Amino acid sequence: MSDSSPGVRPAADGNLVEMRDIHKWFGPVYALRGMNITVGRNEILGLVGDNGAGKSTLIKILSGFHLPDKGEIWFEGRRAHIQSPRDAKALGIETVYQEQALAPHVSISRNVFMGREPTRALGFLDRKVMAAESLNALGKIGLHLRNPESIVETLSGGQRQGVAIARVLYFKAKLVIMDEPTIALSVKESRQVMDFMKQLRDEGLSVVFITHNMYHAYQVAERFVIITHGEKTADVKKEETSIDHLAELVIGSAPAGGRESDEA
Amino acid sequence: MSTAPARNSRPHALAGLVRLSSLNVFILFLLLGVIFTLLSPSNRLIDPDNISVYLGLGAEFNIVALAVGLLMICGEFDLSVGSILVFCSFSVMKLVYAGVNIYLASVITLAIGAAIGFLNGFITVRARIPSFITTLGTMMVWRGVTIFWSEGLQKPFDTTSYVVFTKLFSDPVGGVVPVQFLWFIGITVILWFALHRRPVGNWVYVTGDNSLAARAMGINTNAVKMGVFALVGLICSLVAIMQISRTGAFTSRAGDGWELKAIAAAVVGGTSLTGGIGSMAGIFWGALIISLIENGLLVMRIPYFWTYTVFGVVIVGSAILSAFVSKRRASFGRDRG
Repeated sequence: MSDSSPGVRPAADGNLVEMRDIHKWFGPVYALRGMNITVGRNEILGLVGDNGAGKSTLIKILSGFHLPDKGEIWFEGRRAHIQSPRDAKALGIETVYQEQALAPHVSISRNVFMGREPTRALGFLDRKVMAAESLNALGKIGLHLRNPESIVETLSGGQRQGVAIARVLYFKAKLVIMDEPTIALSVKESRQVMDFMKQLRDEGLSVVFITHNMYHAYQVAERFVIITHGEKTADVKKEETSIDHLAELVIGSAPAGGRESDEA
Repeated sequence: MSTAPARNSRPHALAGLVRLSSLNVFILFLLLGVIFTLLSPSNRLIDPDNISVYLGLGAEFNIVALAVGLLMICGEFDLSVGSILVFCSFSVMKLVYAGVNIYLASVITLAIGAAIGFLNGFITVRARIPSFITTLGTMMVWRGVTIFWSEGLQKPFDTTSYVVFTKLFSDPVGGVVPVQFLWFIGITVILWFALHRRPVGNWVYVTGDNSLAARAMGINTNAVKMGVFALVGLICSLVAIMQISRTGAFTSRAGDGWELKAIAAAVVGGTSLTGGIGSMAGIFWGALIISLIENGLLVMRIPYFWTYTVFGVVIVGSAILSAFVSKRRASFGRDRG
């Protein structure tokens, strides 16, 4: 994966991801209108915008669920052709969805290792490894639970997010996309999930935090991209802005009666 | 995404309604055993002859219930088990009458059973229709076909000359332990290992619990479902062979009504109707409970139709009990932080 291979244009500033001039139509709806977005290495990017602004569409393109009608994606300095969620995973792009990630009535360890269970001789589950490694993964993001056999349903909302996030560490993910991870959570649980994001960054990963709650974004993200009506209307670093300025950017760019341009 | 809290709370209520730990099911089994023993004339329930009938005859149904319960954990139903069974018992008889060696006929019949089961799964996942509907249809189709070909008649099928065959499928081992019961124990153990100790068991659970998550993690949920459906068919055909070996006759009513009894056994054993919850031990005791009720009422000389009334009371009663138990568990056992 050297950046100097022939025919490869190295990405500016060594960005992890560059989405260049992304366009997307859904029938007559022009959902994304030439979006240019970068995600740095070791960065938490807050992707802020109202419902229907195009955040989900953009991220579904990055995670392989949609194909762009026009535009390029560059990953680690190479042109990436993401045709399916599998392609995205192969690159190290993982998406954590709110409720789709876990089996609620199955234990923590079985959720963490879902689909790639470690086995001992003769194909039996290596339950010791599953128990120890799942607690270890949770510990890495700062979630300390005692019993890996706990049923996920008995955990709090924040802890459940933690289980889903801990799992992607095992996929050797480089970029974790979190789609509205705090939307159904209490204040305390939201704080916990945002702490998980910081831990992921400390583990050397990049995080895209999608939210329409700029206060949440402001607490954890280091850079903010604001999307309105399928266009990027602001791209600011945290030190260049304040919560009030950010609010102005979001509200100012979304006048009352603004039309919906996205299916989400 | 604004519906997330509602989506979050829905599985709780349904899960609670049908959840029983296998220990509770075992206690219910003992309780029913004591009641039937005390109520049956001269304690006939625990008469060695009756125990042998209970274990041997009951095992045929119990084995089918194991498979049906496993499929329910996977999130699917099979209403066609009785019809697969009758079709397979017709198939083994027809093959032998056509001059096929009985062991070869048995192997072919097992393959037919697995293929019919697989077809249920294939239709369900390819057409994306509820398996309740798929198997309601195939239930009618296979019994209909069997009745048509057999002209609805009972036919003798003398197996006494096949010594090894009857030893394998219906003779008591050492003249005491019904071999069907050993099959029941053996299949329970195999399925227990598969479900609780192997990766494929985890795939079955998560496919039934949240197939979106399972697919997102690269599990081929369609293959898992088709595989379990095929297993159900295979097990039904095995039981068909056992039954024909024991009775020495084919009847077009074989397996009639087993589909709902098997679901009842799984539910009494703590299996969820919505998938993802259940255990092999629970289904094991659930099946023994359903066949105990049938046997117990029989030795009490209570008319057969009362059996259904008692089934109904036990099923609803155990669901209410489990809802109560899981509510208590939810208020005490939270690992919140």
